[in-house]
Amino acid sequence: MIAPDWLREDRLPHIYCTGCGNGSVINCTLAAVEEMGWKRDETAFISGIGCSSRAPGYILTDSLHTTHGRALAFATGVKMARPDFNVVVFTGDGDLAAIGGNHFIHACRRNVDMTVICMNNQIYGMTGGQGSPTTPTGAFSTTTPYGASEPAFDLAELAVAAGANYVARWTSYHVKELTKAITTGMQTPGLAFIEVRTQCPTNFGRHNKLRSIPDMIEYLRGNAMLRVKYDRLVEEGADIPEGTFTIGELVRRRRPAMGVKQ
Amino acid sequence: MKLVIDESRCKGCNLCVLVCPYGIFQEGTELNARGIVVPVLDRPERCTNCRLQHLYGRVLCGLCHMICPDQAITWVEEKPFEPHRVEVEF
Amino acid sequence: MQGNAACAEGAIAAGCRFFGGYPITPSTEIAETMARRLPKAGGVFISMEDELASIAAVIGAAWTGTRAMTATSGPGFSLMMENIGYAAMTETPCVIVNIQRGGPSTGQPTRAAQGDMLQCRFGSHGDYSIIALTPNSVQEMFDLTVKAFNLADRFRVPTFLISDETVGHMRERVTIPDSVDIVPPAPLAEGSLPYEAGEDGIPGFAPFGSGRSVHVTGLTHDERGYPDTTDPEAHDRLVRRLVAKVESARHDIADYEVINPDAERVFVTYGPPSRTVAQVMRDHPDESIGHLRFRVVWPFDESALGKFPDAKVFLMPELNMGQMVREVQRHADQPVVPIAKIGGELHTPAELLQALEAHG
Repeated sequence: MIAPDWLREDRLPHIYCTGCGNGSVINCTLAAVEEMGWKRDETAFISGIGCSSRAPGYILTDSLHTTHGRALAFATGVKMARPDFNVVVFTGDGDLAAIGGNHFIHACRRNVDMTVICMNNQIYGMTGGQGSPTTPTGAFSTTTPYGASEPAFDLAELAVAAGANYVARWTSYHVKELTKAITTGMQTPGLAFIEVRTQCPTNFGRHNKLRSIPDMIEYLRGNAMLRVKYDRLVEEGADIPEGTFTIGELVRRRRPAMGVKQ
Repeated sequence: MKLVIDESRCKGCNLCVLVCPYGIFQEGTELNARGIVVPVLDRPERCTNCRLQHLYGRVLCGLCHMICPDQAITWVEEKPFEPHRVEVEF
Repeated sequence: MQGNAACAEGAIAAGCRFFGGYPITPSTEIAETMARRLPKAGGVFISMEDELASIAAVIGAAWTGTRAMTATSGPGFSLMMENIGYAAMTETPCVIVNIQRGGPSTGQPTRAAQGDMLQCRFGSHGDYSIIALTPNSVQEMFDLTVKAFNLADRFRVPTFLISDETVGHMRERVTIPDSVDIVPPAPLAEGSLPYEAGEDGIPGFAPFGSGRSVHVTGLTHDERGYPDTTDPEAHDRLVRRLVAKVESARHDIADYEVINPDAERVFVTYGPPSRTVAQVMRDHPDESIGHLRFRVVWPFDESALGKFPDAKVFLMPELNMGQMVREVQRHADQPVVPIAKIGGELHTPAELLQALEAHG
């Protein structure tokens, strides 16, 4: 259940396009906040620039909408200065993986106690659909008119390698599982990274024959494979279809963390 | 309780149509004042949460509420409460 | 004590409890001193991954109501520009120390310069205004750092301590007072909106955790703090206020030293060239030579020039190719002569005497 009094009702409806998955991610996050029982004056939502980063503006708490890619650095400042705060960072794939890539790996390395939710729509949505570091090879966008030639980043695996204490990946279609993952992330001391593959029918879908919202959802659902199944298939040496990405919890561990509430 | 779609927020993405296990949400056909085709409700009294939330004391199902990207789907208390005759297809 | 260490001590005395930094010559000693002293003072020192992150963390910490600062030099200062604009737009009180070195680019890491005077004022994109202080001694590194924090909080504006390698690495005797005046920012009044300002143009400050649910954004925002990016009036109102809150208080913020107000030939300085001027005036006592030294360069208080009613010429020794001289020329009726020197060394008394003779 979405915490009803955590929305800035006076700002709704939000700017997201019809069928955008970001709104669902806001719902799941607020449901997790409700579950955690966080207080408004102990919580800060922080974001960078992009579609995803508009989210804190719709959440009724202290919120910092910062510069492109730097959200994690701002969040590090907030959390280290006030460890008693609950800090949630909303970010996107361009924000986190491209311009903020260095801040991302260092925040994971420091393992600062916060929850980072990346709405990965595999494209730069706010600027109109340019190829991002997570655009799949071969996918079309306004800057990859002949298909993306570069390999894409796997953000969740990157977070695992860089040292985050909790890493999970879901899609914006798996709302129940996503809510549970965000709640677990919030409970875990240290940096929790939750990658959410979101549908972007307007910009990603339009260029990739997924213009309708059900097609876009089907694309996400069809390519998602539970991690346990994926691992089993790998073990069996079975063929894994191209474009498959794992969903589920990728890591949960207890590396030393910074800025944990005493 | 009953399901309501807030027409001032709905953008007509029909994700609720996609997820509702009872098929309560149906794609609408008419434009509203904001130029959006809002889904229509087909026998909303079948909604599990509407029927059983009070009995169980927690939200049941609630997929439409969670996935609605525009925070447009909620439940409201019905006043005065009127018991419905409910037929559930399995 | 060293200038950089005095700066760090001044920050701690002023109640600074957060430092985010990245090592860079010649400012590193500030970070080193803070790393040693802050944890014992109950503060947080964090070495960030780059200067972009340093200033970001400082702004984040400042929004929790903590006094926060960072220190850097030219190349790092250039990297910080984006978020300095963000701090100006969001009216975040924070202190940024720039121990200047020779530029452009990597330039002369171990040499002094004053080449960032215009960058600190105009470096980020768009219109805004800031406060910049220029110490010329180790004692002033301490005093002006304290002052910078108070000004930052009072005006809710990023405030710069623009020093240079000479003063940063200079060692002098310093008097550290038992306590310093700390002026906290005015709190956000009950019932007013987070970006609703009174006549002085400065809104009250509601840091995170004060229960006011402030939305802070670098987008053009209205008084509620909500983005309003397409309304020309909202942008005009906001940006004019951001500039006016500092510029209209320039006589109030001003801090300068006037020597021999009846003089005809007046040296106008800030930072270490003032020390050479002081030497010249000691060696050649002459009532016709005056000295105007700015401790606050931005906002520029043009009325200071009027303290020399008989001035026939202003001479401006600067460790750059003439930056602040443009601002003085803009306001002075008399000729303003730049005495530009770059390369990393201070002006010698002989060079200044030569300039005096040329305009005698």
